[in-house]
Formats: sequence, C-alpha cells, structure tokens
Amino acid sequence: MALASLPHLSGMKKNDSRFNPYDDNGGSIVAIGGDNYLLIASDTRLSTGYSIYTRNQSKLFQVSNKSIVGCSGCWCDTLTLTRLINARMQMYLHEHNKEMSTPALAQMISTMLYYKRFFPYYVSVVMGGLEPDGSGWVYSYDPIGNLERSKFHAGGSSGALLQPLLDNQVGLKNIQNIVEESITLEKASRIVQDVFISAAERDIYTGDEIHIMCITADGIKEEKVDLRKD
Amino acid sequence: MFLTRSEYDRGVNTFSPEGRLFQIEYAIEAIKLGSTAIGICTSEGVVLAVEKRITSSLMEATTKEKIVEVDKHIGCAVSGLMADSRTMVDRARVECQNHWFTYDERITVESCAQAVSNLAIQFGDSDDDGAAMSRPFGVAILFAGCDEKGPQLYHMDPSGTSFQYDAKAIGSGSEGAQQSLQESFNKSMTLNEAITSVLTILKQVMEEKLSANNVEVVTVTPDKLFHMFTKEELDKALENVTPLLRDEAEPSTSSR
Repeated sequence: MALASLPHLSGMKKNDSRFNPYDDNGGSIVAIGGDNYLLIASDTRLSTGYSIYTRNQSKLFQVSNKSIVGCSGCWCDTLTLTRLINARMQMYLHEHNKEMSTPALAQMISTMLYYKRFFPYYVSVVMGGLEPDGSGWVYSYDPIGNLERSKFHAGGSSGALLQPLLDNQVGLKNIQNIVEESITLEKASRIVQDVFISAAERDIYTGDEIHIMCITADGIKEEKVDLRKD
Repeated sequence: MFLTRSEYDRGVNTFSPEGRLFQIEYAIEAIKLGSTAIGICTSEGVVLAVEKRITSSLMEATTKEKIVEVDKHIGCAVSGLMADSRTMVDRARVECQNHWFTYDERITVESCAQAVSNLAIQFGDSDDDGAAMSRPFGVAILFAGCDEKGPQLYHMDPSGTSFQYDAKAIGSGSEGAQQSLQESFNKSMTLNEAITSVLTILKQVMEEKLSANNVEVVTVTPDKLFHMFTKEELDKALENVTPLLRDEAEPSTSSR
C-alpha cells in the first residue's frame, strides 16, 4: 500500500507535492552467460509515463573488452553511474597497469551503489562479462548494491515478467524428465528475442528495438532486432 | 660544496642548486644504520630474512618484529626507524583491505608498494587534509608477495622510489650482502636454496653470531602465502647453513 494513502502514517497531506528527484524511464535488460559466451540485450525505448522520449536509446554500455553493463530505470542516474564506472575503469587501468576483471568490476559496482545507500541511484543494473577462465557470467544488482552472480537474469521494467520465463527456458526449471545441458549461443539468442517480444506485448515501457550484444573470445558482436512500436 | 650543503639541507622540500634534496639523501643514509634485511625471489616463492639486534640479554627478542604480514599474500621486511615503519605498514595494510573491499580480489604486490610510495613522499608543508609528516620516513622496505603474476619482490626507499628485484638487501650490511647476492642468485634457484642462501649471507654480514633467536625468516609462496618460520623451522633451516661454514673454516685451521 502506498504511503500517501495512509496520511496518518506518512505525516503528509494527500495532495502534498514535493520535488521528486526520481523518474522511471523504463527499459528492460536480459543477460545469459554460457560456457564461452555472454549475451546481453536491452530494448531501445526511453519513456516517461505514457510519453516516449526516444525509440532508439540502448541501455547497454561496454566498459571493457570483457564486460558490458546494462542499466535501466532513472535515465539520468543511468548516465551518471555508467560514466562513473567508465572513469573508475580508467583509473584502475592507470593505477594497477591492467584491465579490470569481470569479478572485480562486479564488486566495484556493488560498492559504488552502496555508497549511495541513502540517496540511491534509481536503477536496475545487470552486468555481464567473460571471466578469466573464459566462461560468461551475469551479475545483477538492486539499487543499493546487493549483488547476485548467476547464469541468466532479467532486470528493468519487465524484469519480474521475464524472470520466470528465463527460469523455465534457460534454467530448465519446472520441467519433468529433462536432461540438463548448457544452452548454446544460438539458442540463447533465440530465447532473448522471444522473451523481449513477449515483454513488448505486455509492458508499455519495453519496445521499439532489441539491442543485442554478445562477448566471445573473438570479440564483441552487436545486433538490432525490431520490436512492436506501439 | 660543504657550505652549500649546510644551507640547503634544512628545508625538506628545498632543492640545492645542484638539484638535490639533502633531507631525502640523509634519510637514505639513516637506513644504512638499520639492521640488515635480505630478500630473494624464486619461481617457487619469495623468502625474506632479517637480523634482529638483541641489545640486551634482558630484552624479550620475540617482541622485535621486523617482518610483518600486510595481507595474506604480502609480507614486508623493514629496516631503519622502526616507529616510522609502523605508519607505513599500517598504510600498506589499509590499502590491501581497501582493494579487497572494493574489487573482491587481492591487490598486486606492485600496487601495494606503489601505495606506500605515495605515503613516503607526503612530507613537508602540511596541506588541507591535516598535518603532514615533517621529514621523510627513515625506512626502507622489502615487499614480498604472490599475486597473479607469481612471486615478486619489491624494494622501496625513503625517496618513495620502488623497483622490482630478483634479490635485494637493505640495512647496515646491505652493501656486502648485495655483492654476495649478485654471486649466489640464479633464476632457477629453488626456494630451499634461497632460504639457505639468505641465511648464509646474513651470517656473513652480521656482527653477532647467527642463531634462531636473532633472525626472522618469512616465506611467501603461491600455496601457503605468508608464512613466518617457527623456532623449529628456523633451527632446521640453520642446520643447512652451519656445515657450509664449517667447511670453510677447516682449511684455515689445517694451514695453521
């Protein structure tokens, strides 16, 4: 229940309007890590309420040759956070004479988010990358830096909608008599496209295009796939 | 020359006309009064050995700590003003934990040495963030550690310059010891050979008789990481050293 509907608890009048520093600009991120690849995708719609700011703004940020940060939520916080991550990556490179590894980046993002514990970045972060052993992993965060390492994750406005779908299709959960095997890159790519199409059907904050990025030992490949635009 | 020196060696941050900072040079002289510390880096790990000068038989020798653990994978041997070394070791420890906290990985030995170097040059006029050190630190440090690049040895002096070494000696016996290291070091040395070598060299340059009571030995290896030798391990390591010297002593007695 929203606090505003409980005026005696909130201590505020019903039509009390104060400056709200946050906005929800929507957008969804899905990432799948395989034995030798990392696939991460976002939609390209940026909106507020029923209005659309733009139909072609990706929410993926390549921060190194081995890792990509996906960030959605309040767009101005996304911009600030990702620029800060880039700056910290550069500082790390100069200070330690090496590129930051994916696990190190994962922990750094967590501490960066927690340092704003009492005025958080209003963002849902999904970071994916190749680890030193070549395998792909996904790190997902809540706005104050709680970190989970997994093989797949859906975040952003359709996060709650898509996660059970991924649990079933990628995690092979709740299926009887199934042989568990790792998902190929081709299959992961098809699943990602399918789940985004499903999200665009139900979530007005997800749509227009999917921006797919894939990291393998050979480098990073990008692809754009159309989604419904209404 | 001597006249210019007496004029320009007062301010810690004043260059002499020849472009020298005398206080730093004096600090480097100060560490030559310190007890000898030797380190050798092998492919199996790094060994550090330090002599402990027992100035009184009433002194509790174990309370003299010249090799300390900075992190699980980094150890430090210090020579010079022990009180100054505490400040620097504290900084090294903070930097290691800070790196672990932020990046969930072990800091590299190089970065750790670099971080302490930054502290070493923060002397002179105090700035906004409080009182600065009024003089250079009178400490030389050997950093021994194992990270993703394998075993490494770094040396840092009071001027804040740090370099990687295969083998390095600091302190009062450093000149003789460095000469001996030059002769005995080779790239394919095993860790046990290195331990025997540092103890042999330490024995040569020490004024007192080498025993398990007046020496500290630490190894840093990829699997055991920081490991301080116990009394028993020291006794065992010293067994390898004594026969060598007995062999050397024999010809001189027979020739007499």
